Amino acid sequence: MSTALKSFLFGVAAVLCTAATVSAQDGMDVSVKGFVDTYHAMRIEAPNDWMASRSRVRGEFRLEKDGGGAFVSANLIYNALLSDQSGFQLREAYLYWGNSDWDIRAGNQIITWGVADGLRVTDLISPMDYTEFLAQDYDDIRVPVGALRARYIHNAWSLEAVLVPVPEFYKIPVDPANPWSMGPLPPEVRPDKTIGNMEYGGRFSCFLGGVDFSLMALRTWSKIPEIVDDHLGYHRITALGGDVSVPFGQLVFRGELADYIDDHGNHQGCALAGLDWYPGADWTLSAQFNQTYESGVQASLATLRISKALFNNALTLSTFAYADVKDLGLFNRLSIDWAATDQIHALVGFDYFHAEDGMFKAYADNSEIWLKLKYNF
Amino acid sequence: MKRNIILTALFVAVATLSNAQTGRDIAQRVKDRPDGDTRYAEMQLTLVKKNGDKRERKMVSWAMDEGKDTKKIMFFTYPGDVKGTGFLTWDYDETGKDDDKWLYLPAMKKTRRISGASSKTDYFMGTDFTYDDMGSRNVDEDTHTLLREEMRDDHQCWVVESVPVDTREIYSRKVSWIRQDCDAAVYVEFYDKLNKLHRVMTVLDLQQVEGFWTIMKMEMKNVQNGHSTQIVVSNPRYDIEVDKNMFTVTKLEKGL
Repeated sequence: MSTALKSFLFGVAAVLCTAATVSAQDGMDVSVKGFVDTYHAMRIEAPNDWMASRSRVRGEFRLEKDGGGAFVSANLIYNALLSDQSGFQLREAYLYWGNSDWDIRAGNQIITWGVADGLRVTDLISPMDYTEFLAQDYDDIRVPVGALRARYIHNAWSLEAVLVPVPEFYKIPVDPANPWSMGPLPPEVRPDKTIGNMEYGGRFSCFLGGVDFSLMALRTWSKIPEIVDDHLGYHRITALGGDVSVPFGQLVFRGELADYIDDHGNHQGCALAGLDWYPGADWTLSAQFNQTYESGVQASLATLRISKALFNNALTLSTFAYADVKDLGLFNRLSIDWAATDQIHALVGFDYFHAEDGMFKAYADNSEIWLKLKYNF
Repeated sequence: MKRNIILTALFVAVATLSNAQTGRDIAQRVKDRPDGDTRYAEMQLTLVKKNGDKRERKMVSWAMDEGKDTKKIMFFTYPGDVKGTGFLTWDYDETGKDDDKWLYLPAMKKTRRISGASSKTDYFMGTDFTYDDMGSRNVDEDTHTLLREEMRDDHQCWVVESVPVDTREIYSRKVSWIRQDCDAAVYVEFYDKLNKLHRVMTVLDLQQVEGFWTIMKMEMKNVQNGHSTQIVVSNPRYDIEVDKNMFTVTKLEKGL
């Protein structure tokens, strides 16, 4: 660990200790939570190598007083396979201020829009980290962005404005030591960090008895890198869309629709329909179908999530599958989560890949079994 | 003398008839027991396995009445893996109208609308209480019959049997002992679809707080598998000042 990093961590600890001491005196609320986890995955096919082997400490700290505050979420990671993934990793760090009618949040933050589960139609601001593709927790996959977000709240509806001075893009692994590497790839060329390249947009959300819906507009970038001449690049898009959730009986229908328009006036349509079923007895079933359409080319993805809690939620069985409908690819994550105590969870799982073509083809030999132990504090 | 006795008997009979209450009347009294227009409470839920192993949950909740409907928001504060998880419920009194419910999962940073119909029969976060037990039902969702009156723990009680109108409910019938001095159900037996005793709810501490009768401690025991859940309420407050925006999805996402 570098001297600079040690100094930084010491500084954070000192600030928090000071804050905790001061809090008792001036009414400042201090909240600390987090976890320690260790995760190890092994390929089930020869050569049965390690697909992941890492341990980390996650700390989440919140200081708050009089409607304003600060939040920091950070990881300290040891990654036995990928040395560049070891060390201190700042995830979210933002300041916020507001009351029951409005709030402002500034800093590194994860912004989620839409109602889709694991798929992105209108949820375009915080990109994805594919360092281990989809074989990691969903909250680890989202990449925080440095943003200013302001919201106005009026009972059943809210208005949100977002400004991202320097957009973030998908993290695609190219390290040959990484079993999830997609490299080698041409060099990446990101847009210049200028005012003209900022990302900005807004969202109107309405939550009513029997229906939720929202409308969004976002001036953003195609965040998945694409090969442009001799490099990986990105292009500007304007996204217009919306989402809806409607419960009926034991079911909840979810839908999202968006049109991505590039600066040449080309359109790409994206639609998602999902159905959640809550049949009782701690069963949850959720299915989604996602279709994109651009210049006569279609792509379809489907997901299926099934979970069942047993023994008063002490044991949870779940499976989440992504299916590439067009190329008949499949990724399925099956897991068993046992809450040994209030703080300790033990998880085992099996990630299954099958593909002959399409987005899962690169990982067709990456089926793995994994073990995770997690202590929450 | 004989005439006087007959007149007295008639008077008593008429007086009794005028005070006669049906099972539904008593159920309505329980539902209408004053609890302020707004409420706040902190709760500790202890889940106890048959072998004595314990797990704990802690949460805070706010509620506000809007006519006969109730809006409620609650957040888990312990343990760490569920800390920040929030539920928002718009509980409708109208029979047949499903509640609106949202769940916020801080790890996903996302709010999900969940079914208001299913959650009536699902257990709340692994406890022995259903979501319905934690809220309030419309009186006409059950058919109530006054079985008898009797003493229980030195208090005169009505014993009322309630049979759900909707056969999909988790219980086939429940029998409640309702204290006559405060209109609170202090002991309830829930029977399963085979009419076997399934769960027993016992109020262990009932107090007046700010003039409102408040259940401070209660236990739900599943007599079939031996698992039980105890809820201890602390710091209850009534008629507190709460902004309407408290009961919105935006507040749910903001957290505590």
